[in-house]
Amino acid sequence: MNFPHLHLLLNHFPIIGTTVGLGLFLISLVGENEDLRRASLIIFAAMALLAIPTFFSGTGAQGAIKKLPGVSEALIERHQGAAMLALLFMEITGALSLLGLWKLQETSRPARWNWSLSAVLILSIITVGLMARVGTTGGDIRHPEIGSGQEEITEGSAISKMVARLEPSPGKFAELMTASKWWWAFMMDLHFVGLVLLIGTVGILDLRMLGFAKQIPIDPLHRLVPWAMAGFGLNLVTGVLAFTGMDQFYTYDWAFWLKMLAIMLLGLNVAAFYLTGVFESVRGLGPGEDAPPFAKFIAASSLFLWFAVITLGRYIQSYSDTITVHK
Amino acid sequence: MAPPLFLQTIEDTGFSTWLRESESPFAFYFILLFHTFGLALLVGANMVVDLRLLGVARAVPLAPLKRLFSIMWIGFAMNAVTGVLLVIAYPTKSLTNPDFYVKLTVIGFALWVMWRIRSEVFEDANLNEAEMMARGAALAKWSLILWFGAITAGRLLAYTYKYLTFPS
Repeated sequence: MNFPHLHLLLNHFPIIGTTVGLGLFLISLVGENEDLRRASLIIFAAMALLAIPTFFSGTGAQGAIKKLPGVSEALIERHQGAAMLALLFMEITGALSLLGLWKLQETSRPARWNWSLSAVLILSIITVGLMARVGTTGGDIRHPEIGSGQEEITEGSAISKMVARLEPSPGKFAELMTASKWWWAFMMDLHFVGLVLLIGTVGILDLRMLGFAKQIPIDPLHRLVPWAMAGFGLNLVTGVLAFTGMDQFYTYDWAFWLKMLAIMLLGLNVAAFYLTGVFESVRGLGPGEDAPPFAKFIAASSLFLWFAVITLGRYIQSYSDTITVHK
Repeated sequence: MAPPLFLQTIEDTGFSTWLRESESPFAFYFILLFHTFGLALLVGANMVVDLRLLGVARAVPLAPLKRLFSIMWIGFAMNAVTGVLLVIAYPTKSLTNPDFYVKLTVIGFALWVMWRIRSEVFEDANLNEAEMMARGAALAKWSLILWFGAITAGRLLAYTYKYLTFPS
């Protein structure tokens, strides 16, 4: 496994996944199918999560091929700018999808058409379009068999020219992030505030399921989850901005990649909690009532993984340059 | 003005040097890690109590949240110990930085507010929920502001120091 391999392994998921998600979402609207709508929102949220390590793996892939003959740095930069814009829309789509899923679980009656579904529809269409461009510009870098691998940028249609103007220049963006140490300090400060929001709310829910402070009923405690999502969102934004500012620093760091792995596993943990009946099994628990063993297992793995994320995050600085391939 | 000499004395001890310079993952970064764990426990639990006192997740009964104070004290104990160790590792860096004293002062006030929330809101068994919230709302606001201030002042220590080690 090396960075180009990892990038290729990951990068098809957000492109194809959002397209499939959009298809299911459209069918769910036409057929007024509640389950299908839920499935499509889950896919958008999952793709938004997976898009993050996909984006991060691009820097290492670039490092591996940029010195090869026939590889144009300009084309790589165009692909990176396209990926940044697509990631922005992907994450907004994912956040709105989570909001929609939250509303679905809060009310048992069928959800009516509302603004958040319209927003998901519009944003997911834009995301699919931008993802297609990310895929195309990425393919242009090194696929001679489809006529790519040209040395300079040739913009095709009027639409792609217009979108290209909206895409940030990766180099300038990185400079913007690191120009002021106060801006950097501010982002890191917010990253810690997000950590507290997340671990405070999720941690107490997990501890209650494990039997701590049993007098608290679970369903009311679960209402704190949007605060955890806000904390995660804050850390996703500050984390991605920090990465774009110092991508070389983070890319060749084992602690950073293990942290990403732990966050992906947490995605699975959340899915196991909400989609395999665990949440239903604990939702009704009142004061003094004990959670079933599988719910305790999910709570314990959540706590373990979040503390692993903190641990790996703290060790990023001391594990810089521990990955030496292609540097 | 040169920093006081006792800072150099601390820095020259074997323990301080080991904490600061050891390549072992169980030296400086390990202490820093537990300082972060303590922060997560202390401020995380405080924040949940504060939010509830301010009316978030009203369906959560207030009285059993008293249990969270034990988490806060565990977090505080961890950070008091690891904090002292971090100062031993970099005495000149921390003790010559005015921000360090700002941080300690803010934490002092935050702990005072935390203690008042416990004694004035949670210790009085005669209070109903509305009375607890009425008594706790202003304290909860201050608690959130002060802990945010403590985190910010702590983060800034990494960006505002004048000397990393004793100037030679």
